[in-house]
Amino acid sequence: MEIVPQLVLNSIIAGSVYALVGMSVSLTFAVTRFFNLAHGAVAAVGGYSVLYLAKTLGLNLGLAVVLGIAAAAATGYVLERLIFRPLRTRQASSMMLLVASLGAFTVLQALLAILFTSQFQSLSGLAPAGSLHVAGAAITIVQLITLLVAVLVLVGFWLVLTRTRFGKAVRAISDDEEVANIVGINTHRMIGYVFLLCSGVAGVAGILVGMDTGLEPTMGLSLLLKGVIAAIIGGVGSIYGAFLGAFLLALVENLGVWQISGEWKDALAFGVLILFLLFRPQGILGKRP
Amino acid sequence: MEYLIHLAVLFSIFSILALSLNLVVGYTGLLSLTHAAFYGIGAYVTGILMVGHGANFFVGLGAGVLAAMLLALPISMVLAKFRGDYYALVSLGFNVIVFSVLLNWQAVTQGPLGIPGILRPELFGLVFSNSFAFLVLALILAAGVYWLSQAIVSSSFGRVLKAIREDEEALGVFGYRTQTYKLVIFVIAAAMAAVAGALYASYTSFIDPHTFTVSDSIFMLAIIVLGGLGSLRGAAVGALVLVLLPEILRFVGFTPDIAAQMRLVVYGIILILLMHYRPQGLMGEYRL
Amino acid sequence: MKYAIQTKGMVKEFGGVRAIDKLSISLSKGKITGIIGPNGSGKTTLTNVLTGFHQMDGGTIVINGETEHGRLRSREVLELGITRTFQGVRLFEQLSVLDNVLVVVTKRSVWGALFERHQKFHYDQAKEVLERVGLWNKQGAKAAELSYGQRKLLEIARTLATKADIVLFDEPYAGLFPEMVKMVSGIMTELREEGKTIILIEHDMALIRQLCDRVVVMDAGKLLAEGTPHEVLADKRVIEAYLGA
Repeated sequence: MEIVPQLVLNSIIAGSVYALVGMSVSLTFAVTRFFNLAHGAVAAVGGYSVLYLAKTLGLNLGLAVVLGIAAAAATGYVLERLIFRPLRTRQASSMMLLVASLGAFTVLQALLAILFTSQFQSLSGLAPAGSLHVAGAAITIVQLITLLVAVLVLVGFWLVLTRTRFGKAVRAISDDEEVANIVGINTHRMIGYVFLLCSGVAGVAGILVGMDTGLEPTMGLSLLLKGVIAAIIGGVGSIYGAFLGAFLLALVENLGVWQISGEWKDALAFGVLILFLLFRPQGILGKRP
Repeated sequence: MEYLIHLAVLFSIFSILALSLNLVVGYTGLLSLTHAAFYGIGAYVTGILMVGHGANFFVGLGAGVLAAMLLALPISMVLAKFRGDYYALVSLGFNVIVFSVLLNWQAVTQGPLGIPGILRPELFGLVFSNSFAFLVLALILAAGVYWLSQAIVSSSFGRVLKAIREDEEALGVFGYRTQTYKLVIFVIAAAMAAVAGALYASYTSFIDPHTFTVSDSIFMLAIIVLGGLGSLRGAAVGALVLVLLPEILRFVGFTPDIAAQMRLVVYGIILILLMHYRPQGLMGEYRL
Repeated sequence: MKYAIQTKGMVKEFGGVRAIDKLSISLSKGKITGIIGPNGSGKTTLTNVLTGFHQMDGGTIVINGETEHGRLRSREVLELGITRTFQGVRLFEQLSVLDNVLVVVTKRSVWGALFERHQKFHYDQAKEVLERVGLWNKQGAKAAELSYGQRKLLEIARTLATKADIVLFDEPYAGLFPEMVKMVSGIMTELREEGKTIILIEHDMALIRQLCDRVVVMDAGKLLAEGTPHEVLADKRVIEAYLGA
């Protein structure tokens, strides 16, 4: 095993997970203008659902994955309907939405801990085993799937946003929700769909993390933070930026792991965020100052 | 009785944290999620000096306060560049970074093993070793922080803080260096949090990094959002309610594990409900 | 020292569009100068540049015929004797009426403010200006609880309390009842008698005629005309600009 190829490969794998969370968090931010801190916990709901359905109930893995994604999507949608939409209609500030999402995150994380204990649990037994070797570096099947899924989701987002009426409506809302409303777009319904879609994508990320490493109730926060950092350094509101930001973040982290040590990963990620915000606040692809 | 004293000590510690965080969030309108970092710095500096160097508690406390202030200065200078949710996010990042340092700088902090054997305070031969004596000390410090906060918010300085919260840009045109004001209150609040940290370290005699995480900062935010942003009495009431809550949950009959998680569920629901129905909290005047 | 404020070739751009285009005007000391112009002609941008809210992209500002400034920072403008009101009214909403005024009369330095509680002379200053606008009986109410007209009056009281020599009023009359209009006009003329310089952005030509000593007309960020109200309002170019010829 050679270091540099493995390093690059690890960055690509980690970057794929960050990209899934980052793109979805970025799109929700684009239409709601606040950072939904519960998004990572929604990802964890996806992972735990598969754990429950496939391991405890013994369901077929494919079916369990589909249902797990649906569970995450539904959770995100319920949060939107029950918590965020009423606040939006009351003209709540983005700080209030942020604090409410902080509350939602805390509740979800604690519920997962109550239902599934705080122990680290893995989906790895369920996932396809085996690994490949590329240029002297190893990659497992699950990791390969993660990468493929991230690219697929990027392409999917691109198609949806540019080729469908829904995508057009979403772009209109992200430009200006009020104007979108005036021209006859049902903004509440569209934002609801965005939550459904993005929470599903987060669920995918949660499931893949569960298969690659494992699940714990607290995984949501760190997933979310990586996603948000990717979204910001990529340029908030741009899913392509979030995609690039995710891989940049993962590369910096892995370089850090190699040069310093693994424990400093989270601190390093925030260091990157702070540097970006100070010196290039619009991110890689962003336009707004 | 011992149990009531224990609760009262916890109440004193969390009152100090809530009062000081309220100066930043409730009075100045800066949504800081890094308060637990300064709490941690206070606890660790006190703990390390007492255990490693045999220092007196009050020396440790002073050093902890100083260290927190020195750390708060650059953090607040970076935070000065941000507003609103970016401020919240970056401050949260600083909490993660400080937590990483506590966890990984093992040569100094002993990492996840923590620091055991921190003694109770001693002053002129008077040892605060029994719980009641310690409670008196904790209450005195909490009252001191309350008094200081009161003095700050009722001074001209306090009025400026509130004006910054309402419209910083407009205030600037009246000749105020608003950045300096934000810097100073942030550093003062960090110093107060360090006092709470020192008390905590000495009270529990053992500290490890997991008491000073982002979740703990969120908990402190929950206290002041509940009690009331921009109200000192509110901060104390919020601390009382949220310190008693886990005891009530335990009383209802949850096992300790479940009770700990149920506590978080309740905090989360409180935050959500408050944002919907009473964003200024029980006694507060300011809505985020 | 004839002029309180002069701008020399002032330029302000927003995303490549010139809101102020090489503007050179002189605003007389001790006079009421009206600034008029169609919507979007750059009046409010000018106010914002003169009070440091926006930084110029070119040109200079001369205050009191003394130093020439290439940039003004908002926190420095009061020291130069300038203050302002805001078009949309910007108060410290959750603060009491009294506190809204006290905040501009107490100490500015951090350490000074930290060890200062408001004294009788602060209180008296606040009382004086609040009585002048008829809001003293509302001193304990939150700014947010006032009516629209009262909010505008409170903002004027706040500028009075600063004791600045140059006051920029950005549409102070918009939405006021007739008796409030009278009160504000009275304050304007009193300020002129005290030797203060008033810059008034206003759409109501009757008020411009009644109050102003000089009028500056802006159009598309440029100076269109300048003179007494009588001269300017008879100027064909001004009429054309307003009718959108």
